[in-house]
Formats: sequence, C-alpha cells, structure tokens
Amino acid sequence: MSGNILEVAGLTAGYGQIEVLHGLDFTVANGEIVVILGANGAGKTTTMRAISGMIGRTGSVRFDGNDISTARPDAVLRAGISQVPQGRGTFTDLSVEDNLRAGAYTVKGSTVGDLDRWFEVFPRLLERRDQRAGSLSGGEQQMLAIARAMMNRPKMLLCDEPSLGLAPIITQNLFKILGELRDEMGMALLVVEQNAGLSLKLADRAYVLETGHIVATGTGDELLADDTIKQAYLGGVG
Amino acid sequence: MSLFIQRMFDGLAEGSIYALLALALVVIFRSTGQLNFAQGEIGTLCAFFASTLTLSGLPVWLSILIAMAIGFLIAAFVERVVVRPIEDRNPGAVIVALIGVFLAVNQLSAMFWGVDARALPSLFPTGANDFFRIGGAAIRYERVGIIGVLIVVLLLLYLLFNKTKIGLAMRAVANNQESSNLVGIRVGNILILGWGLAGAIGALSAVMLAPSAALSGTLMLGPFLLASVAAVLGGLDSPVGAVVGGILIGLLKAILIGYVSFLSDMLFPVMLVVLLGVLIFRPSGLFGTEKVVRV
Repeated sequence: MSGNILEVAGLTAGYGQIEVLHGLDFTVANGEIVVILGANGAGKTTTMRAISGMIGRTGSVRFDGNDISTARPDAVLRAGISQVPQGRGTFTDLSVEDNLRAGAYTVKGSTVGDLDRWFEVFPRLLERRDQRAGSLSGGEQQMLAIARAMMNRPKMLLCDEPSLGLAPIITQNLFKILGELRDEMGMALLVVEQNAGLSLKLADRAYVLETGHIVATGTGDELLADDTIKQAYLGGVG
Repeated sequence: MSLFIQRMFDGLAEGSIYALLALALVVIFRSTGQLNFAQGEIGTLCAFFASTLTLSGLPVWLSILIAMAIGFLIAAFVERVVVRPIEDRNPGAVIVALIGVFLAVNQLSAMFWGVDARALPSLFPTGANDFFRIGGAAIRYERVGIIGVLIVVLLLLYLLFNKTKIGLAMRAVANNQESSNLVGIRVGNILILGWGLAGAIGALSAVMLAPSAALSGTLMLGPFLLASVAAVLGGLDSPVGAVVGGILIGLLKAILIGYVSFLSDMLFPVMLVVLLGVLIFRPSGLFGTEKVVRV
C-alpha cells in the first residue's frame, strides 16, 4: 500500500481558447480514496476528462509507472483507469447486460466471469438484466455506471459527482459501496464532488478546487473541521 | 385472384429492394443523425461497376460482391473526408455537402459509363420459363430470390448487431458517443464502419434492381425517394421499421399500379401524401423511438 498510483503535475486543460484548469498538482496513493471538492464551474469535470484523455491537456499525468499525459481514452482505459461520468452516462437504449459488456470493450478474452461477479455485487442489476438501461431509476443507473466501469478491471476508478441527483439515503449507500471497493479490492478512487459532508467522510485525503486552482488540501477530517470549508461547502451547518 | 397474388409478389420483391436501401439510410441515420442523400447514387455507381465486371467475364455473384466492397469503400470515404470534417464545424451544413456528393457521384458515373442504359445480368434465373405457380399465379424465381436476399441480409445484420463485439460498439455509438469514448470504443472507426456497411447494402439494392430496370444514371433516383419515404414511415432510427416500411411501400406501389390505374402516373405525389401523413400524425414512424426528454 505504498507509493502513488496517480501523479498529476502542472495539468492544464480547457475548451478551445478557454483554459479551465490552470496547472493542477495532486496525487493518489495505492488504495487511497481522494476527493476533489469544488463548486459548480470549479473545473471538476474538466479534471476528470483531462485525466481520461477525453480532451486535450498539457502537463504530466503518470499512472502506475506509465506516462499517460498524451494517451487517448482507450489507452487510458487499458492502462487501468475507468471513469464513471457525471450524469451516469449509461447507454439508455441498450440493455443492462449490454451496458456491462460495453464496459469490457477493451478487455481481451471472456468477460463472463466479470459479468457474474458484478451481478452478484449488484443483484438489482441482475433482476433487470434484459431491461433498457434508460428504464432504471437514478440510483440503479449509478450502480450500473459503477459496474460498467468495473468491467474494465481497473486499478483506479474516477467518479464524477456520483451523488448528483440522488436522494441522500441512496448517496450514503453508494458511498458505502465505493468504500467497499477500496477495502475489499484495494481499488484507488478519485472522486470529485460538491457534496462535502458525505464525501469528506469517505475520503482519506481531499483537495479543494476553485476556478481551476487547488486552494487547499488535507485529510478528510482536517477539511471537515476547517471553518472556511464548512462555510463554503457545508452551508455553515457543519 | 391469381393476378392479385402475382402483384403482391411483385410488390414484395420491389419492396425488398426499397427495404434494403431504407436499411442503408437507417444504419447511417442511427449513428450520425444524417440522411445520406448520396446513398442511391453510390448504389448506381456500384451497379455500373458490377455491369463492367460481368462483361469482362467475372461470374455475376463475384461481380456483386466486388460492387458491394466498392460501395463500402466509397461510403466510408465520404464519411471520413466529407461528413466528419464538416460536422465538427457545422452539423447543419452536412446535408448540403451530401447533396454535393449526390451530384458528384451522379456526374462521375455519367462520365465513365455514358448516358445509354447498360445491362446487368441477374443473380437468379430470368428465362421465360423460370417461374412456378401458386394458385394459378406465376411467381418468377427472380422475385423470390430478391426476397431471399433481403432475408439473408437481415439475418446477417441481426447476428452482427447482437452477437458480435463490433455490433455492440455500433449500437453503443448510435446511443451515446461520449460514453462510447469513455469505455474505449474508437468512435471514429465505428462511424466509418457504419457508413461502409450502409454503402455495401445500398450497392446490393442497386444490383438487385438493375437487371429488371434500365441501368442508367437515373437507376436509383425513384427508388431512393421511395426508400426515404419507407424509412420515415418505419421510423428513421429503426432497422425493423425500414424493412416494414420498404415492404409496405412496395405493396402500395403494386396496388396503385395494378388497381387504381388513374393514380399509376401519380406515384410520387401519392408517396408525398404518405410522407406528409406520417410526419403529421406519427413523426417518429411506426417503429421509431419517440424522443422523451427527462427533466
């Protein structure tokens, strides 16, 4: 459990002429859960898309000993990073099973074992195996999005605002599942969130992102205790 | 009665050709949201190639396969060189570019093959006695053969889309390009493949039609219009709809020409009415998915 699996240095990215990330530095250790906390427009999704190669970026991204700074999305996946995109990104017209099969697109050989395994972890998905993914509830779609990402047999999971649009009780359950992925499989997790209360409890370490800059960092507990953070991201309730 | 059966079979066979062409349109529309105006003309060009190949002594089946391969390459080329660069800048302009491709391909075949009609032999026996009888109706083997070709194509497409990884990727790309990228599908390659596949199917529809029609530059003009109506009738994003729509249009045409003689010269106006009716009363077609926006 030592060493960093992900090392990001001087990461800049944006859309067209507009730069959104102005040089981010952060790391994720093996088996660590890191949360990047930020408000709307801070650059959370851009950070995710930059790591997974969905948009152009400069700076250095090293993963598991490989330089993936200029890798395309399929190469990032093969290196071992899967992403659960914001808004789930399920293939709504495809069946639940086909969604999972699509998740294993870059995996060579049989994935029947993986399919059985994730159906065991998420029995709800097994019940709805042949249904169109678009007919699932929000919480079920989030499960599907996570299971689909896991079909790629990743070493690290990127989750883009998993709590978005979910009832608090479902978010709690979801974060419990994310914690279990780490505890049982040693999976490293990078989660971006604006929901500070729950996500900081899940996090080993966290960064605070504001308008494309990292402005604070610490353990989850440290940031939870910080007054400025409380006011900005917990509505002062703490 | 026997005449009715005969006309229905003619309608089925002709409908099969529209169904193939409509399938080609739908395969592209599902993945790119574009109506490929050049689809028919690419088919005509391929039929000319097939005609020249058979003249040079190649067997008909082999000429058809080569023509389909050429259709695949031309359509794939159009996607990569014309459609994609324009779509990245202005999606609305693609339709104009495709009309341009339509004209270019049309002129190209006139340049190399002239304006006189050519002959393309049929894959099936077409002699005076090549028919069998059902209830007194004479059913030509060629008609049955064309219907058979459609069934084989449908079977192969079903297997491709539902039993292979490439087919899964094609369905995924048609549904959500961003997510397809995220699971490692090279979306660009899949789009090229989809267009190529449609090009091959379109070429097949042209070489099925050419033996019983005059193979000239205008071979696919009418069929393309009818196939477009068929695709809209069935639902532009539904392969099943394309086939049902194609068959229905074929049967409708057979009935119009056979029984409503005063309308037989007004085939296209009648089809226009069908098209308008669909667009007004059932815009997503018989089998198309209605776009539901969830808030």
